[in-house]
Amino acid sequence: MKRAGKLIGFAALIAVTFAMVLPYLWMAASAFKTNTEFTSRPNDLVVRHPTLTNFAGAVDRGTGRMGRYLFNSLVYAATVTVFQLIFDSLAAFAFARLRWKGRDVAFTLLLSTMMLPGAVILVPTYLIAVNLGLADTILGVVGPSLAGVFGIFLLRQFFLNIPADLEDSARIDGCGAFGIYWRIIMPLAKPALITLGLFVFISEWNSFVWPLVILSDWDKYPVTVGVSLFRDESSIAWPKIFAASVMGSAPLIALFAVAQKHIVGGITLSGMKAG
Amino acid sequence: MSDRARREWMTGVGFVTPAAAVVLLFSVGAIAYSFWVSLHNWDILIPAHPFVGLHNYSDVLFDKDTIFWIALGNTFYYVTLLVPSVIVTAFLLSLLAYKAPYGQGFFKAAFFLPSITPVVVISLIWMWLYRFDGPVNMGLGLVYAGVSPIARLAGLSTPALPNWLTNTSTAMPAIVVMSAWQAAGYYSVIFLAGLSEIPREFYEAAHVDGAGALKSLLYITLPLLRNTFIFVSVMLVIGGFQVFTQVYIMTRGGPGTSTEVMTSAIFKKAFQSYGGMGTASAMAWLLFAVVFVFVFAYMRIVKSRRIYD
Repeated sequence: MKRAGKLIGFAALIAVTFAMVLPYLWMAASAFKTNTEFTSRPNDLVVRHPTLTNFAGAVDRGTGRMGRYLFNSLVYAATVTVFQLIFDSLAAFAFARLRWKGRDVAFTLLLSTMMLPGAVILVPTYLIAVNLGLADTILGVVGPSLAGVFGIFLLRQFFLNIPADLEDSARIDGCGAFGIYWRIIMPLAKPALITLGLFVFISEWNSFVWPLVILSDWDKYPVTVGVSLFRDESSIAWPKIFAASVMGSAPLIALFAVAQKHIVGGITLSGMKAG
Repeated sequence: MSDRARREWMTGVGFVTPAAAVVLLFSVGAIAYSFWVSLHNWDILIPAHPFVGLHNYSDVLFDKDTIFWIALGNTFYYVTLLVPSVIVTAFLLSLLAYKAPYGQGFFKAAFFLPSITPVVVISLIWMWLYRFDGPVNMGLGLVYAGVSPIARLAGLSTPALPNWLTNTSTAMPAIVVMSAWQAAGYYSVIFLAGLSEIPREFYEAAHVDGAGALKSLLYITLPLLRNTFIFVSVMLVIGGFQVFTQVYIMTRGGPGTSTEVMTSAIFKKAFQSYGGMGTASAMAWLLFAVVFVFVFAYMRIVKSRRIYD
């Protein structure tokens, strides 16, 4: 009886998991179908005559431009990740390991900005960026994400748990604040930095509204905005959309496959906000 | 301040400055600026922005053509449907995965997949799934084929297959199902983390005392996951009030105004109509007030001291 219950539970789990990945299977199958096959058997998961035409169409410089979009996304996500790791860790270090007047007030203030819904600051952030001459520029896209309160919070938590002994002996040896940050804290914080880096990269890659608003030149569009353009074409070419979708999500799925441990471990470590 | 204190202050502020500059400019500055803009008639193409006081707010709240109340109602509808469906699905998923004899890592990875896929991509996939002759209706058709003979015996007929995204009554539920599908896996991983923190001895002791699976669930698992439930629901509510991308891609707020939500209304006001920056800012502030009141009230009700662990 008990065994049967367990078996049913496991079967249900497999069924639900299959349902979770089913939309991906449809995406992948449709991306490899010829137009004729897609029109005659759109819902089939089996591809009889696989083709790469849709991918060629998605990459084509006239009709797809996916190569450009992918490159842009990579540049934006990498830039934001590098800057956040540096800026956030510097600030987190000052909040966790240094003593200075006004520190706790400053931290509370910073933390409270996490409560602001993105939708509320979308319009003013846009106006500020326009006033700074950042409309339709790369700096405009990445600017607001060069530092993140969430990252500061996460790293501060981690820094607080590093024992003070190492730091003390370094101080006695004449190491200054920056030396302690760079030579002692940062190497020890590698796991937290990797997790944060992955999260920042993923969320920047997936960001859609901000680049949609701040950019007007397709040459600078990231992959999310780029893929959304396919939907606006007068007749929606689904196989091409799916080829582009596969290309837009594959890099993150690959990254996830490699770094799964850090990503899944990361959310349990912090109970973090969804992307 | 003593010399030493000043030196310490300079060092601390030095470390914080790069990050603080970004946050001050784009978040704190933006929120202050947003209020300023909301008090003006602001057209991005015209250099002069006449001061109008609270006129934008009264426009948003009381103008007879205002979209605000419709969008607010739709947003509440979305949140009300989304939060319980995600919580129930995610929790059940986590229970199933927790009890899995093997492959927990694999299931976690599969659950996680939708949350690392761009919402744009997911919305496009689901748009296609929801087509009239798409897979969703194909599945529903199979169910109908099984159910309708029985229904006919009872004198009932099965409803026609809907055109999900172009029908005013099904469009929003369809968007909710898609969003729930995306979020459930992510939150199930959070529930799984909570479950794995409950000491096994509790269950063993309950078992010795003769408690069945249901009793263990009701008296051990649920109470001990209280904080996780609160955390998950608060995150879902805050995120749900800001839903945008799936609406923008799948329905553009339509058909009619049936899926127009707060964020899509703000977006349209600000970027797709002339002179709407001030009105859009006023709407954004009102949205902020709603979210704040809602979350604050909720926190007071659950009165939890440990949320973010």
